[in-house]
Amino acid sequence: MADHKPHTSHEEHLREQHLMLDPMPRGKMNEMVMESMHTTSWKFWLVFGLLSALVAYALFYKWGVMILEGLGVAGVNRPSYWGIFLVNTVFWIGISHAGTFISAILRVFKAEFRRPFTRAAELMTTFGLIQAGFSIFMHMGRVWLSYWLMPIPNERQLWPNFHSPLSWDLLAITTYLLSSTMYLFLPLIPDLAMARDRTPDGTWQKVFYRVLALGFRGTEGEWTHLRNALNIFAFAIIPVMFSVHTIVSWDFAMATRPGWNSTIFGPYFVIGALHSGMGAVVMVLAVVRGTMKNMKYFIRPEHFEAIGKLMLIISMSWAYFFFNDYIVQWYGGDKWTKELLHWHEAGPMGWMWFGMLICNVAIPWAILWNKKWRSTPWLIFIVGLLINVGMWFERYIIVPISLTINRMPFTWRLYQPGIEVWLGIGTLAFFILLYMAASRLIPLIPVWEVQEGQMAHSLRKYGRETVVTVSELE
Amino acid sequence: MAEEKALLAVFSDIDPAADAIEQLRILGVHDDCMNVISGIPVTEAMLGRPSQWTNVPRLALGGAIAGFLVGLFLAFITPNMYTIMVGGQPFTPVPPAVIVLFEMTMLGMLISTFVGVFLDSLFPNYRPMHYVPEISDGKIAILIECPPPDAQKITDVLKKLGAESVKEAEAQHL
Amino acid sequence: MTVDLNKLHAVGAIAEEAEGKWGMVIDMDLCTGCQACVAACAMENNIPYVEEVDAGYGRSMHWIRTERFWEGEYPEVKMSAYQPMLCQQCGKAPCEPVCPAFATVHSQAEQINLQVYNRCVGTRYCANNCPYQVRSFNWRDYQDSRVRPEITILANQFNPDVTVRRRGVMEKCTFCIQRIHKAQDKAKSEGREVEDGEFTTACAQACPANAITFGRIDHPESLVAQLARSPRAAHHLEELGTLPRVTYLKEG
Repeated sequence: MADHKPHTSHEEHLREQHLMLDPMPRGKMNEMVMESMHTTSWKFWLVFGLLSALVAYALFYKWGVMILEGLGVAGVNRPSYWGIFLVNTVFWIGISHAGTFISAILRVFKAEFRRPFTRAAELMTTFGLIQAGFSIFMHMGRVWLSYWLMPIPNERQLWPNFHSPLSWDLLAITTYLLSSTMYLFLPLIPDLAMARDRTPDGTWQKVFYRVLALGFRGTEGEWTHLRNALNIFAFAIIPVMFSVHTIVSWDFAMATRPGWNSTIFGPYFVIGALHSGMGAVVMVLAVVRGTMKNMKYFIRPEHFEAIGKLMLIISMSWAYFFFNDYIVQWYGGDKWTKELLHWHEAGPMGWMWFGMLICNVAIPWAILWNKKWRSTPWLIFIVGLLINVGMWFERYIIVPISLTINRMPFTWRLYQPGIEVWLGIGTLAFFILLYMAASRLIPLIPVWEVQEGQMAHSLRKYGRETVVTVSELE
Repeated sequence: MAEEKALLAVFSDIDPAADAIEQLRILGVHDDCMNVISGIPVTEAMLGRPSQWTNVPRLALGGAIAGFLVGLFLAFITPNMYTIMVGGQPFTPVPPAVIVLFEMTMLGMLISTFVGVFLDSLFPNYRPMHYVPEISDGKIAILIECPPPDAQKITDVLKKLGAESVKEAEAQHL
Repeated sequence: MTVDLNKLHAVGAIAEEAEGKWGMVIDMDLCTGCQACVAACAMENNIPYVEEVDAGYGRSMHWIRTERFWEGEYPEVKMSAYQPMLCQQCGKAPCEPVCPAFATVHSQAEQINLQVYNRCVGTRYCANNCPYQVRSFNWRDYQDSRVRPEITILANQFNPDVTVRRRGVMEKCTFCIQRIHKAQDKAKSEGREVEDGEFTTACAQACPANAITFGRIDHPESLVAQLARSPRAAHHLEELGTLPRVTYLKEG
């Protein structure tokens, strides 16, 4: 126990555990972050090359084939008009929710553990939304005409139909993609300036950083404008995030399909998005910590511990919403809904339904309650991975499996995925590829935010105990 | 003020920098002729400097209003340009319009906040500027504009207060 | 003074009062399940012929299909009546509002549900939201003889009054709108109204058992309106409030 040890050792223990109490001079920290970007082994390039090939083949080549031949090469049919395309769209939008959750909600509530990985999470938002965009464009029968959905009129002044949930989707996802990219870029400017100052003249990196840093010096005015803007963004992007996944859920909830027409779909989808998103964040953090140089200083077990707690709470909330949706449908006793619920559990894809509950509820609950277990990076990586599998199952059950059952039993038919499996793998590879490229180009750790946090934290004595004090610097 | 001379004093710590600002004020350097450059956000209160003016919140509000108006146009005007009946719904129903209005308002607000930072900070700015790279290593620099005869006096005072270096600022490419 | 029901957004009343309302009655007792309607519809409307593999996988493209149901296990099987299923031309169609491109809209003149092929971008939301599952999607370029040389000869029998659709476009029953317009044009040139029974849809024309009747259901004396008033009349999935224009007569 801590109180049996001498104070100095308790203090040391605290410093070892908490990044915020383990300050490092700014110059040294800059060096560490620059070094982490520049240290690249052959393994990195091997994975990078393999993923590039996979993206070229699975995403672009296969998509090209599908555009030329038509959606017949995919597995979508009647009645499952929406297949894995929509599953992946919902999945990637779900992943993108973690970034905003961490960098906006935790910023608003001043949760200090967020500081080292806000950018790592925000990158997931932007890159995840890009994959969601790919998935939804792939899904379209005539993707070359997708600009018709933009709010621009045709030659007869016909604008898009704003009655349609898909039009709302377009507005919401565009808003979210633009605002999350801006929210990624703004706090990056000081770190780009830092990288600019440490990059020798005459290299292409110098040009890259000089252009992107926009001439930032760090004057009082620049900091004030930046801080005001970040404050506005942190508050305003939260309702945007909620609206995005709610509107995605309305694509389903507005429809006259058994199992879809549910008023709880909005919050159920939002919590599901956070569930998969947080799972993805711990996976990314575990990989970054394990593979990038100097990251063990920045990302510590305390961070996995803190996110693990959030994951447990989100898993419980997901179970609550799932059960809420389930029991209302079950109790209603509508003929088709009953048929659908039976199909979910006892149909040929019933294993997926049980797999979803095991991955989303049983495993997180069994592991995350234990502080030591949830602080262990490899273990929480596995939990995060399983949660993502479970959440993908959930979307698969909601989209193609539920579509199998409708009010016209004559048309019931199972869905067998075709080329969309390759395309899905392509989006996953592209996500990882973008992330790998970004990790070598932009400082993954928001140095100035970590420095600010370390400035705000101090240790003081309260009686015989050493306690942590945090002050608000803003 | 072409005849003004620019001095750049670099400090390692915040306390000497705050003292220096106080001393400079006693020496007759007006607050408007000083600027603090730092690698982490040091608030005005910490250095005893007057509050900075920012237009960002006003621009955000303006952008929100503009976005709301665009939303009104999309939801209530465009359906009347080519009237089409769908699903027995009204041409311009209010509940879906709420969604359009919300998204466009937020988009307008966030874009103008972003643009506001660019306008207020004069970004992007690739001209030569007074700067030293040590600032992003955590140093605090004070940029002083003063009449040339005062420069020597100010340099001496700042050095005495613990400035690491005080030199005539040279505009350089960042 | 007449009140513009559209301005009042009185949906149910619009559907009931609408002028120029075409409708259909299908007598399930008369239907023998011979599929003549399916073939005639495909000929009339240039509906692509889908190969075996795709058709077996639920991609057959028919604007009308004959559903058959049975009870019990083989060999103790009891057949129930055949049920021809086509677009119900809903007065309040769930497929319409969900299209982001206004590609499926309500026709004010004919009071039917239109599909505008040129505007369709292929999100397939309409087909998902159709409770009757009567929309068919062009999964491939079934009609392009460059892609399928074997259909070159079939292209000679295309109906010139109907467009040919390419891949990525949704389509569905139009109540043979080309025939409606032809009859209306003819009647107009002769300075009269379209008479009841003057023309009919391809499916009704082909039906050997006369199970399908087509006409103006807003004219109370027309045959289709009289049949629709039968005590045997029922609408499919009426509980959804889609206000279908197709009435089924079931065993009385």
